[in-house]
Amino acid sequence: MLILTDSRLVHTEAATAGELGFLAWNLSEIDELELEEMGATAAIHLVQKSVQIHAWRVTTGRVREADAFLGRFKDQHRSLRGDLKESTAVSTPAPDEEDFAEGNPEPAGFLAGPMARVFAFAKPWRGLMILGFLLTLASTATSLIAPWLTMALVDNVLIPLQSATDQVHVNQVYKFMAQLAGAGILTWVLNWARTFVVARLAERVTSRMRRETFEHLQRLSLTYFNRKRTGDLISRIGSDTDHISLFLSVNFIEFICDVLQCVFLAVILFWINPLLAVAAMGPAPLVGWLVGKVRGHLRGGFAAASRAWSAMNSVLSDTIPGVRVVKAFAQEQREIERFRAADKHIFDTNDRVNRMWSFFTPMIELLTDVGLLVVWAAGAWSVAHHHITVGVLTGFVLYIQKLYGRVESMSKFVAAAQRASASAHRVFEILDVKPDMPVNQGLHKVGRLNGEIEFKAVKFRHGSRQVIKGIDLKIAPGEMIGLVGPSGAGKTTLVNLACRFFDVSEGAILVDGIDLREVDVEDYRKNLGLVLQEPYLFYGTIAENIAYGKPNATQAEIIAAARAARAHDFIMRTVDGYDSMVGERGQQLSGGERQRISIARALLIDPAILILDEATSSVDTETEREIQAALDHLVKGRTTIAIAHRLGTLRRANRLIVMEDGRIVETGTHDQLLGQSGTYARLHEAMMEVTSQ
Amino acid sequence: MTNLPDFLSDADGGLVFIDPAGVRHEKVRPVRMFPLTNPDGWISLQNTSGVEVGFVEDSKALTQAQQKALSLAFARREFVPVIRSINRISRAADGHLWHVTTDRGPSVFRIETDESIQQLGANRLVIIDDRNTRYLIPDITVLDTESRRRLERYY
Repeated sequence: MLILTDSRLVHTEAATAGELGFLAWNLSEIDELELEEMGATAAIHLVQKSVQIHAWRVTTGRVREADAFLGRFKDQHRSLRGDLKESTAVSTPAPDEEDFAEGNPEPAGFLAGPMARVFAFAKPWRGLMILGFLLTLASTATSLIAPWLTMALVDNVLIPLQSATDQVHVNQVYKFMAQLAGAGILTWVLNWARTFVVARLAERVTSRMRRETFEHLQRLSLTYFNRKRTGDLISRIGSDTDHISLFLSVNFIEFICDVLQCVFLAVILFWINPLLAVAAMGPAPLVGWLVGKVRGHLRGGFAAASRAWSAMNSVLSDTIPGVRVVKAFAQEQREIERFRAADKHIFDTNDRVNRMWSFFTPMIELLTDVGLLVVWAAGAWSVAHHHITVGVLTGFVLYIQKLYGRVESMSKFVAAAQRASASAHRVFEILDVKPDMPVNQGLHKVGRLNGEIEFKAVKFRHGSRQVIKGIDLKIAPGEMIGLVGPSGAGKTTLVNLACRFFDVSEGAILVDGIDLREVDVEDYRKNLGLVLQEPYLFYGTIAENIAYGKPNATQAEIIAAARAARAHDFIMRTVDGYDSMVGERGQQLSGGERQRISIARALLIDPAILILDEATSSVDTETEREIQAALDHLVKGRTTIAIAHRLGTLRRANRLIVMEDGRIVETGTHDQLLGQSGTYARLHEAMMEVTSQ
Repeated sequence: MTNLPDFLSDADGGLVFIDPAGVRHEKVRPVRMFPLTNPDGWISLQNTSGVEVGFVEDSKALTQAQQKALSLAFARREFVPVIRSINRISRAADGHLWHVTTDRGPSVFRIETDESIQQLGANRLVIIDDRNTRYLIPDITVLDTESRRRLERYY
């Protein structure tokens, strides 16, 4: 046993001959305690002075507890270290800590935090990145040629022409014109190439982000989806990645250009005339201070705007699928109000952000205008005292205007960067969610199961509520079990546990004698057929929906499954037969038809274990008979767990399990249970009353 | 001899089907199970009251005479033009007007929403117009460049 106290780590075990039964370490002497996963098992290593001095093996079922234990250890360890040696940095930061929270002192630099992670996504396209950078460098340099030529043009051609002191060869004018045109065309070509390369890169990076976020999302457990709003997830994957794409393809590269140009320009300006350059740089510190001041506000504002956008998406994804309910209760106006409120929230937050940067950008402009004024004054003085020529002053002013133009556009970057950063953070929030069911890949690869299921003292806690309070049940291969009981008895939860949508809190579920947590989830689910009360059909054809669990099924298999599920005849009555589109969620079909398609879907994968969750509850008696016939086909030779309120559905069940309040209260056949006159008899009586009325 | 299923055309082009048990079904309606993705395979044969009396897995495997009888029966009721080229797509008050050339000659039809263009498989498209007629593009890669460019804007 491993015990953590506030100052020591203690290990105890039953003392055996020649061995210590008790070990203890002072926390302050421990360098590191780390969890290492090695395939099927894991281990906790204790490291002291860079030497591993002890190790404990952890079975996979206990990894989560071990992880939590280590978390507590690290907290304790860190606070202890902070007291003892304040100068020592904590060697291992807590892994799950959020790296950005509003009001947190944010790390310095534009690329710190979430944006740095965005750039990590660009790694596979390093070549493209370097090419883009080189093109940026080249195009920036060429765009600075023109003012340089202007300087010579004024001094060597225009001034002599005006004062008519020297003879100017007309060829020189042509030469300057040709050079200016050449510089312009070169800049254009390079800019074109740069924009194309960078946009291409940005598109690939954000596509990868979208893909990986969605892939990650698919791996998360049902618990996560139950907590999250659909609209919020859609807007994170949709519009937030789009913000990032825009930022990468437009703002970021512009910013790089701006910085490069500023550096080039500053060098040129100082080289032309240091005095004027110093005068021109006057407003720079002020600009810097302004940027620093505004950044934090903008970031918070954009994060709020993205959240507001999510809220609006949530209203949409709530109202549009629920449109029948909205109309039936004549609540259109209420939904309009709800949307209006969400929309108002968006423009309120945007207004706040806009107020900030609409003030900010003209402020920068004003400062640069002041700078220009100073340059003109200093320039006029210098020309008058013959320190510089008019040409040099003209060139200088052209350069300084370019510089100020850059500074202004850099100020816009501040807003764009903060928006992208807020969006990146929202995307990474999804990516940072660890699947709360550790997927132990490569544990027990199983092929086709026999279908024996055993619940061993299973308990399940949902939040603070104990939903399953200890279930012991063994289901033989091919046996059909009927789960009966009042609503809220935990029937669906039990079935969800059997599907491994959730992991049990205590106890274990064994399939074919193997702990379900140690079976490869994907392998296991291939053995699982699920028919739900509300069958879910995807947007696509009927054939695609039937073959959902086995995309490579032949048309013969699809037809055979549909025939067995009593779906063939109604499918043939639709216009396009098996090629008919069923619409989102299968709206174009009736409830019974949808149900039979979902039965065909389950039949096609030929599962060893079949779960029927109120498969016949939502249809009329006539359709129920059809579905019943389809189900009889389905349950043959499979382990079946069926939940039903209509007790007739369970007439083929070998055993009925009556659940109440998270426990099994009665077990037996229909006749046995009726004879016991317990819960089942009561349910049966109530049902008979309803049907006879 | 009567144990083999057979198809015959009756006097006015109707289909007669003799099932494996030797029962003769008159005025049989052939219905394609996969009219869009596999029109020549899996044909359901229904009697006048819509009950399936038999099916053909692959019509190409039938004899010439049987195929002829089958296609005659299809021709009586089926209409799925194949689009050969798209000449123009213009905006209409509600939806878009498509000016196309099909295997049955030039045609103009109106489609209402983006959902009227359905992709089946990699390069196969079905376009359903506002009168519920299906137009098929079996392979968009064999369309001419101009047609393809016009199409790309809409799906």
